[in-house]
Amino acid sequence: MPSILPALEWLEALAWATAIRESNWGYPIMETAHVASIVAFAGLVMVMDLRLVGLAFAQTPLTRIQRPLFRWQMAGFALSGVTGLLLFVVDPLRYYGNVFFRVKLVLLALAGFNALAFHLTIFRTVGRWDEDPLAPTTARLAGAVSLLFWSAIIVSGRLIASNWFD
Amino acid sequence: MKTKIILALLTAGVLCAGQSALAHHPFAAEYDAEKPVTLTGTLSRMEWVNPHSWIYIDVKQPDGTVQKWTIESSGPGAMSRRGLKKTDFVAGMSLVVKGYAGRLKPAIAIGTVGGPNDGADKQ
Repeated sequence: MPSILPALEWLEALAWATAIRESNWGYPIMETAHVASIVAFAGLVMVMDLRLVGLAFAQTPLTRIQRPLFRWQMAGFALSGVTGLLLFVVDPLRYYGNVFFRVKLVLLALAGFNALAFHLTIFRTVGRWDEDPLAPTTARLAGAVSLLFWSAIIVSGRLIASNWFD
Repeated sequence: MKTKIILALLTAGVLCAGQSALAHHPFAAEYDAEKPVTLTGTLSRMEWVNPHSWIYIDVKQPDGTVQKWTIESSGPGAMSRRGLKKTDFVAGMSLVVKGYAGRLKPAIAIGTVGGPNDGADKQ
């Protein structure tokens, strides 16, 4: 299997990646935007998750909560995705070797799979249970898993800054 | 009462500000505040990078051997505010680093080098 390292070294040597890595303000602004957009995204997703598991807004139909939030969730996800990708490109070798970064990527994939499965299966029939204070078990499970995964993603993201295992 | 709270917050803020340049991640997990070090050595390499710069210096021991130290230091923003530039760090130059020794590995520390703006805001 060819190694990914030469590609990462190429990324790291890019002029604009180097400029951001060595910048006074560019990097801190990007890092702050990454955190702020994750807060917005995860916070809004958790509003829906809490409704799904039955811990908040039980009397409000799920879609009345979720539909207006969707575009803001996606905006938060887009900004955190773009800034996250940039943060990676600026210092790819450091992240590649960081165990918490790898854990975060796996958790992101799992959270994405959970969201996809939810939307492709039980959410298709939301018309039938939209107003039920207690959502079907599958939906509640998806909400609980989402709460757990996004919390763990934030924790692992925070731990990337600690290089105990470098 | 309100004034007291504001004063307390301001004091806390000022106290934190002194530390913030090197507090990106939990200091205590990696470095020991009880082990202050002052290292005088020759610069072998400097990585002027976010979120923290890395300074590599060769420190001559009393027995004549050379110990290679890795120093985690301020990022470009904090370095610039203290009047330092990337080009100020030239391999082979003599350097004094003040900081704290690491807990996890030998010859690792977190610390700063003096800059021309140091103390300028306090005069």
